[in-house]
Amino acid sequence: MRQVTKLAAVTIAGALALTATACGGSSSDDSGSKDKGIGLAFDVGGRGDNSFNDASYAGMEKAMKEFDIKGKALTPRDGESEDDKVQRLTQLAKEGYNPVIGVGAVYSKSVKKVADQFPKTSFAVVDASDNTGDNIANLVFTEEQSSFLVGMAAALETKTGKVGFIGGVKMPLIEKFEAGYRQGVEYAKPGTKVLVKYLASPPNYSKGFGDPAEGANAAKGQLDSGADVIYSAAGASGDGAIKTISQAKNKWAIGVDQDQYNQKSLAAYKNVILTSATKNCSGAVYDFIKSVVEDKKPMTGVHEFSLKDDGVGFSVSNPDFAAKKETVTKIEAAKEKIISGELKVNDKP
Amino acid sequence: MTSTPTTTTTTSPKAPKAPAAPTARKTIRRQMSLPVVLLLVAAGLVLFSAVRVVTGAHDLTSDGQAAAALQLAVPVGLAGLGGLWAERAGVVNIGLEGMMILGTWCGAWAGYQWGPWVGVLVGVLGGALGGLTHAVVTVTFGVNHIISGVAINILAGGATQYLSRLAFDGVQGGTPVQSPNIDPLPRWTVPHLADWLTDINREHWFLVSDLAGLCGGLVRDISALTVIAVTLVPLSFLVLWRTPFGLRLRSCGEAPVAAESLGVNVYLYKYIGVITSGALAGLGGVFLAEVTADFYREGQTSGRGYIGLAAMIFGNWRPGGLAMGAGLFGFTDSLRLRNNDNVRALLLLLAVLLVLLALWQLYRRSYLAASFSVVFGAGSAVWYVLSDEVPAEFIQAAPYLTTLLVLAFSSQRLRMPKADGIPYRRGEGT
Repeated sequence: MRQVTKLAAVTIAGALALTATACGGSSSDDSGSKDKGIGLAFDVGGRGDNSFNDASYAGMEKAMKEFDIKGKALTPRDGESEDDKVQRLTQLAKEGYNPVIGVGAVYSKSVKKVADQFPKTSFAVVDASDNTGDNIANLVFTEEQSSFLVGMAAALETKTGKVGFIGGVKMPLIEKFEAGYRQGVEYAKPGTKVLVKYLASPPNYSKGFGDPAEGANAAKGQLDSGADVIYSAAGASGDGAIKTISQAKNKWAIGVDQDQYNQKSLAAYKNVILTSATKNCSGAVYDFIKSVVEDKKPMTGVHEFSLKDDGVGFSVSNPDFAAKKETVTKIEAAKEKIISGELKVNDKP
Repeated sequence: MTSTPTTTTTTSPKAPKAPAAPTARKTIRRQMSLPVVLLLVAAGLVLFSAVRVVTGAHDLTSDGQAAAALQLAVPVGLAGLGGLWAERAGVVNIGLEGMMILGTWCGAWAGYQWGPWVGVLVGVLGGALGGLTHAVVTVTFGVNHIISGVAINILAGGATQYLSRLAFDGVQGGTPVQSPNIDPLPRWTVPHLADWLTDINREHWFLVSDLAGLCGGLVRDISALTVIAVTLVPLSFLVLWRTPFGLRLRSCGEAPVAAESLGVNVYLYKYIGVITSGALAGLGGVFLAEVTADFYREGQTSGRGYIGLAAMIFGNWRPGGLAMGAGLFGFTDSLRLRNNDNVRALLLLLAVLLVLLALWQLYRRSYLAASFSVVFGAGSAVWYVLSDEVPAEFIQAAPYLTTLLVLAFSSQRLRMPKADGIPYRRGEGT
């Protein structure tokens, strides 16, 4: 019996060790010096999400190349706790990384906690502005503006008078997308019906943003209810929605965060991607790193990236969409109005 | 060794309270006869139809709904079927989730390189490998089944995470957490019949349209893998209950020592049971990777292995029952995902069901339970009348709540295999 217990212990230990190594993977090497360069912690999904994690990493890579510094990026585990996040950031700060960046609203609280302990390190959190501090930069985007513009595209291109919205997780960040989208639809063609579906609620982020089956079924449901243009702000779950939409006839999908028409993993379905509500995470992260490393004057407080500075926008890479001159002109006009302040977009539904 | 110390945990806590006579009857009447099941299904359909007509939530029984339910039920059902094979051989398999993860990863890894059918094969092998690990640890080394299962879940998650980085990163269309796309498997629609059923469904006639909708979902755009998965249910029944091989395998789960005394190689049968279990769970994983999506994605299984296990327990360790359990979960899950009106209509359905339950409980003279049912039934009726829309949080929780309710009411007379989860050593039974 004792042998058996021992074996069980060994098996478990082995399993845990393997998981641990798999979790703590880093994307870049690190040197031994005190100032090690950029530390970055990914949101759920990590590098390879084809979305804002990848975009943030691109900004970091660009800075690493340009300023000739090193860096380390850590990916979280699915369903981890708040303590894990605090520990990840603490680890980066303790090892001497400066600046330290938390990608995603999930890092809002933990960045605050860790920043108080390391006053000499500059921190940034992407997508959250509810916890500020002297050494924290909050990099936020006016997603409601880009969502407004793609909402207009949806309303102008629908034939059934019904458009869909699929949100990954029901939280303020995604509700911003919904709010902008609804207003854009109403602005372009009043009376158009918007079907809204949220896949999950916090803290169930992996189901909301990482389960293509969820997105696929939600999209099928909206198609069957008569929607013919569907905007999904749901990370990889949205990939499932786009696949489903591509199997129906004469329906459009709207992408999110990056220009999904040019996304390689969606190449087979790109014809149905009308446009995408883009968000320049890469530029924001790069700007922040530059302020710390090059200008020696770290950004702090809330920095909003909006239509004005191309922090957000909409894409016209699909030639079928570019050919719809009238629609594109109308959207461009509204864009100018938003930039000039003539048209206000609410960030709450 | 053949006494039944562990089975007490599964019998209902209410059992001692009930009078003696019904308890005795319960144990005799373990299974409902076929006519009773059909009658219940028919009654359910009438009820659904009525609720649909009253609420105007026509999507409740549309063909799209049925198709979505089927697609969501298949992975859960395959995991449950996997659980059935292992537990009928006396090995508790909580590692189904891990074996499913191995199925998604292996299926996608082979699938994107050598085509979807090779993916199916390799995914099944991957799951079977997980099963083999579980069998070695539990059967040969006698480790506690739960510990081994949990270890496999953790191991599978970690290993695939690590392997993805090696195999998919840098490949065209792949990322460290996602595989490149896999070519689709063939899909079929029964010509004419599918369109005809859809037309009838659109008419919104009472009962007829509902029936057409439910059947319509089963003949339109069906993946080859769905057909295979559905056939595996009766096949498992035939193999396990109608062949000498199945009798021997089940005897290992009921009374391994007795089986051994009759010359059955218990270790061998347990190995076969657990490896088959892993293969079926792996097939469920492949289905997720190749049919619902067309790529592997980290965290894609999102707990469906555990739900499969629950479906199997709901189904009283029998293939027909677990298929119903999986169907129930798939249906409520698709209700949640498709249309918000569905869930509101569900409130009315819940109210009606609870009132019916209360009447039954009154007839059985359990007044306390009846009053609870009436209160909750009235509550959901009031909620239905007063609200135009139910909150998103409730919609998301609806399938789990429904499953919980159904489990709570139906799991009162379950009987697991007698020696399920008990370590067995050859030659130790005296």
